[in-house]
Amino acid sequence: MKKINILTVLAFTITGVALITGCVDSKRQPGKIYMPDMAYSRALETYSQLNDTVFTDNVAHAGHEIFYNRRPVDGTIAVGELFAYTLPNDSNGYKLSAEIKNPLPSLTKQELAETGRLFNINCAICHGASGVANGPLSTKIGAIANLTAPQYVAMADGTMYHSINYGKNNMGSYASQLSRKQRWMIVHYIRTLQPKADGNSTEVTTVKKDSAVKKMDSVNTKKG
Amino acid sequence: MNRSRKILQKVFASLLFIALVTLNNSSFAADGEALFKANCANCHKPLEDYTGPKLQGAREREPSPDWAIKWVNNVNSMLETDPYAKGLLAKYGARMTQFQLKNDEIKAILDYADAYKAPSAGPTGGTVGAPAEDNSLLFGILTLVLAVIALILLQVNSSLRKLSDQKDGILRSEPVPFYRNKSYIMMAVLVLFCLGGYITINAAIGLGRMKNYQPEQPIYYSHKVHAGTNQISCLYCHGGSQDSKHANIPSVNVCMNCHMAIKEYKGDPIIKENGQQVNGTAEIQKLYQYAGWNPDLKKYDKPGKPIEWVKIHNLPDHVYFNHSQHVKVGKQQCQTCHGPIQEMPEVYQFAELSMGWCINCHRESKVNFYNKESGEGNKFYSIYEKFHKDIKAGKMDSVTVEKIGGTECQKCHY
Repeated sequence: MKKINILTVLAFTITGVALITGCVDSKRQPGKIYMPDMAYSRALETYSQLNDTVFTDNVAHAGHEIFYNRRPVDGTIAVGELFAYTLPNDSNGYKLSAEIKNPLPSLTKQELAETGRLFNINCAICHGASGVANGPLSTKIGAIANLTAPQYVAMADGTMYHSINYGKNNMGSYASQLSRKQRWMIVHYIRTLQPKADGNSTEVTTVKKDSAVKKMDSVNTKKG
Repeated sequence: MNRSRKILQKVFASLLFIALVTLNNSSFAADGEALFKANCANCHKPLEDYTGPKLQGAREREPSPDWAIKWVNNVNSMLETDPYAKGLLAKYGARMTQFQLKNDEIKAILDYADAYKAPSAGPTGGTVGAPAEDNSLLFGILTLVLAVIALILLQVNSSLRKLSDQKDGILRSEPVPFYRNKSYIMMAVLVLFCLGGYITINAAIGLGRMKNYQPEQPIYYSHKVHAGTNQISCLYCHGGSQDSKHANIPSVNVCMNCHMAIKEYKGDPIIKENGQQVNGTAEIQKLYQYAGWNPDLKKYDKPGKPIEWVKIHNLPDHVYFNHSQHVKVGKQQCQTCHGPIQEMPEVYQFAELSMGWCINCHRESKVNFYNKESGEGNKFYSIYEKFHKDIKAGKMDSVTVEKIGGTECQKCHY
């Protein structure tokens, strides 16, 4: 009888403890771990909090504390990246941007596919996959540019880049999401979405792009 | 008499034990719904055309019932040769992503789509996993009913025995009450021991896994609204997952790309699990506080500060995991590891993120192996001479991650 009593108590204890620890609604808590020093990195990882007493992002305190502001040093360019775009974000810069030529040669088939993917991720959400301002968010944000409209066909590559780089009206800057090269690639891609002079949207061809550029050039010369 | 009682007890105990063990056993058969959500739901809907055609009745529309099975795994080559595939491309204007799914998986997806019915309008929109839950509840009730019946039968048995003994004039000592009856106590102990052991072991395995961890975030950001309703691509905000080890948390300026213009929430009401309604407009105001944005003047007039989101998915320090390796090279969908994120109002950890879970996927997933003749696939794999020979000789038809060393220790632990 004694043995049974001990067993009973033991079973009840195990079940009780297990139920209490296992069934508590703990989804708001990260839960317990075996070895916290192995689970949570002691080395600095992306987004880890810097120790305020050791690090500083104020350049004036450099020397007393470790200066680290997570930004690339001014004037440096990443390997494989294009030169910086230096026009300022103001009306004068916007005007001057029309002079800037697209530094990239026209896209290969492979690059075009990749740029189309980037366009669909970043731009099509408002401008629509075919650039006619019918993306899922177009009704919510409003005043979305129809990239196939005549004024955008006539817009210089540089001005288009300027708007992607700094944002324009309701559009924000895409400089943090797309690299300089990718932004210029997208400018190329937008040209492929735009209609030819006769107004028919046709398949992606370099011929079409040339015609758009020619048209743009003619507009520019008229202005000049 | 005594013997039959013992047998009855044994049967009862084993019945309970079996019920206990099978209670939480989930089915391992290909789950069409989960597969559909993980692989197809980005572009296909069961009942209506979306980026691609609706999947319901696909097998009837297609040239042959097996067409879909060939198609899913050979999209790129069939687009060049197959007339029906060309017709699809012309109609929908979007190339389908090539997948590597097993035949029964594709069948399961199409079966799911064929059986799919539009959810009835009402507050219970999502019925995810409802059938499975119903089943286990049913089993639970059944077990309970059986247990009660068995107990009643045992009591009846002892009463009848008492009566027959009285009739025969055999005198027996007064039977012990059930709570002092050794066999009953033993049985209860056994059941409790199994139950306790099961829960303890599961809890111990779950230590450090954080599955279902769903912390409260500084802003009630709903992935369901953004990625689900508004169809914003995961990579719009988390573009780092194609380029780097980390899938970046978007900085506030990325939020402001849209929220400069979208100042109030006008969608369907968001109800928290505790029944509270979320004020979407107030949450957007919180974002403006962080960004230092003045919506009336339409400019930033205060210094911005980053939002301190709570990290959910954490791998131990001794594991190397690289997002770009999986997203860009491996072409894995975000949902494979993060679950149906486009349906989560609040994000929780979907997968266990345990080593067994990683390894299992590495064993099953096929790499985008280079085809020397057609020039398709990832050119990196052109160096695997032996596999190229074996494929040519017909000894193997595909290369899994495991075959190229994806289960070696030092691939992830170094």
